Amino acid sequence: MDFFVQIIVSGLTFSAMYALAAVGLVLVWGAFNMLNMAHGIIMTLGAYFALLWAEFFGLPLIFAAPFAMLCGGLVGAMVYFVSAHWMIKQRNFETTIIIATFGLGMAMEAGLLKLLTELFHSSPYAQPLSMGAKSFIVATVPVSYQRLIIWGAALFLILILAAFLKRTTFGRAIRAVAQDSDAARLMGVRVRNVYIAVLALASALAGVSGIMLSSVKDVHPLMGGALMLKAFIVIVLAGLGNLTGALYAALLIGMVEATVKVLIADQYGFTAILILVILALIWKPAGIFGRSTVARQ
Amino acid sequence: MAEALLRVEGLHAGYEGQNVLNDITFDVPKGSLITLLGPNGHGKTTLLRCISGLLRPTKGTITFDGERIDGMEAEKIVSRGVVMIPQGDMLFPEMSVYDNLRMGAYLKKANAEFEQNVEEIYTLLPRLKERTSQMARTLSGGERRMLAIGRGLLSGGEILMLDEPSLGLAPIVIDQIYEIIKDLKKQGRTLLLVEENASRIIDLAEQIHLVDTGTIVWHGGGKELESNPQVLETYLGG
Repeated sequence: MDFFVQIIVSGLTFSAMYALAAVGLVLVWGAFNMLNMAHGIIMTLGAYFALLWAEFFGLPLIFAAPFAMLCGGLVGAMVYFVSAHWMIKQRNFETTIIIATFGLGMAMEAGLLKLLTELFHSSPYAQPLSMGAKSFIVATVPVSYQRLIIWGAALFLILILAAFLKRTTFGRAIRAVAQDSDAARLMGVRVRNVYIAVLALASALAGVSGIMLSSVKDVHPLMGGALMLKAFIVIVLAGLGNLTGALYAALLIGMVEATVKVLIADQYGFTAILILVILALIWKPAGIFGRSTVARQ
Repeated sequence: MAEALLRVEGLHAGYEGQNVLNDITFDVPKGSLITLLGPNGHGKTTLLRCISGLLRPTKGTITFDGERIDGMEAEKIVSRGVVMIPQGDMLFPEMSVYDNLRMGAYLKKANAEFEQNVEEIYTLLPRLKERTSQMARTLSGGERRMLAIGRGLLSGGEILMLDEPSLGLAPIVIDQIYEIIKDLKKQGRTLLLVEENASRIIDLAEQIHLVDTGTIVWHGGGKELESNPQVLETYLGG
């Protein structure tokens, strides 16, 4: 029973973080076939923005996450103007944008390290938004309140995002652009604005993922890389561009990782995920929920 | 004839350096139905893509309601009132019929009048009301075409450009589509119709422009075309 509770608690926490990180990647890929390799550093920056707000400025904690989302969104828009804007009409956009955002991400990471080294210190900070070790007991397993917050925040943001995409005019425009950008233009949708907004939205969510991750670990300059890698695995497993599929895949990967970590050993968690993905891709090369081909329209 | 709402003058366009349209000139007067007639692959769709802003012309001008629109982005052109119902429908397959119609009314003014206008569309195209919550990808060819027309009408444009509305449809569905076009004509809508089947438009169009290898080779009324076997034989295979 204890093992079972431990797996559920850890698995849901991993899943919540992976889902939120993956949703942003899926949105951007779905809208304009862009794999944003700077997504990881934007997660890291999200954690630092919250830290900056609460720790260095000493402003109310409750606004730290919205501040991090806002700044994350601005960084996302900046990523568009620095990279995608110049390449989007090129024939090999899908490939060149991976290289461009990878370079941009590295530059941002180096810049962050330099800034932290010169102004503060680059060693880990505690995330001020974390509730620490405060917990309650289920069976005999302590479950931290922080985990509850992570589950609740991820669920809340995903539901808000789903409602936004489904019910609002701009959300509908995002879905339209993802399905046929030329048709969307013929409806009067300013496609470029949609691209910018989608990158900003995905980056705002990435900012929250960063806060979540740092609330159970620490804030440090390289923290986003591993989470981004897991988010990529999630979207590949689901099938690129499939939002609902990504949520199921995040749940699956989170649970598999937790099961292996609890029942076998910590260090085999990532190996188990990779084995799962390889097997899944052999079975369905376009991802579990993907279509048989993925092509830019 | 009334003043031209849309004017195309000396238009040249193509793809990757290959010229497809050569010196195209014609007018679409307000409230008229003008047809671009000709065999497949001779530039009719390219011409509509130029007018709607999906393709930039290499030379020439396109004027709508006195304003130059060539070189404008497609989203700006549609906001001026030039609406295209493309060949192949270009629906949003993973959206419901209702959401597709809502996308037709994306622009602010059309969006404000959507609830009222969609009822008119449901009256004109009752099949869409029956299918309102169904995904567009699950519709039949005829239903898809009706949805594309309904979506185009909801945008509240001043000119509606229909690219081969009968393409690939069963004769009975084509009849239905042409009944809708006749209704739109009766309502005084300005229509630019691309068609390859002369028999469908001879009685309908005020003016027919025959497009062959990217050039307008003949123009005139439906009766003139009917009484000109040489043109019919040479360009439309009789």
